[in-house]
Amino acid sequence: MRRYETVFILRPGQSEDEISTIIDNTKKIILDEKGSIISLGRWGLRKLAYTIKKENQGQYVFCDYAGTPAAVAEIERKFRIDDAVLKYLTIKTAEAITAEEIDKAIAEADAKLAAFAKEASEGDEQHSPEDEDFAEETTDEE
Amino acid sequence: MAQKPQKKLFSRKKVCRFCADKEATIDYKDVKTLRNFVTERGKIIPRRIVGTCATHQRQLCEAIKQARHIALLPYSGAAQG
Repeated sequence: MRRYETVFILRPGQSEDEISTIIDNTKKIILDEKGSIISLGRWGLRKLAYTIKKENQGQYVFCDYAGTPAAVAEIERKFRIDDAVLKYLTIKTAEAITAEEIDKAIAEADAKLAAFAKEASEGDEQHSPEDEDFAEETTDEE
Repeated sequence: MAQKPQKKLFSRKKVCRFCADKEATIDYKDVKTLRNFVTERGKIIPRRIVGTCATHQRQLCEAIKQARHIALLPYSGAAQG
């Protein structure tokens, strides 16, 4: 079993149902291949750094899982067929992962996700425009 | 004899940010950190300027490229809008 991370971008025009179908399908592929999902989360609608298939925005979905190379190949094949998926990225984060490590990672991910969600909701309220973000960073540097 | 114009010699010692701060990790998802290592046009800033060590610059480079692939960072030019 290897540990992978997949990020994929969906077209912003998708309805909730369509998004959840795609996510469920992905989940199913992983579980069918006897893998396990460590964390699966949506980053929500984000501005893309460049246009992809004439879209400026995209729904980001992030999935951290343990699975087999066959599962990854299948997921990517489905993504390539699906018109709603603008782009995807799969990264192998660990060559081998044991069942214990999976459990540990799941617990960690849950804690992290809670913290991240809190931070994101606060962050959105405080500064949404990109320019402001940039200004903040430059001051950090000094 | 006119004195040679002195070269600017302010060689502030640059320390690799990731070596100095062990908790800082390099991750393609962490766009805020990566933004510090690209120019406004989106180019990766060379090691001789930012002062990261070879190991971390390599990791950084890869992370930036991954972030570009998934449209978190631009390939070229400023972010839209």
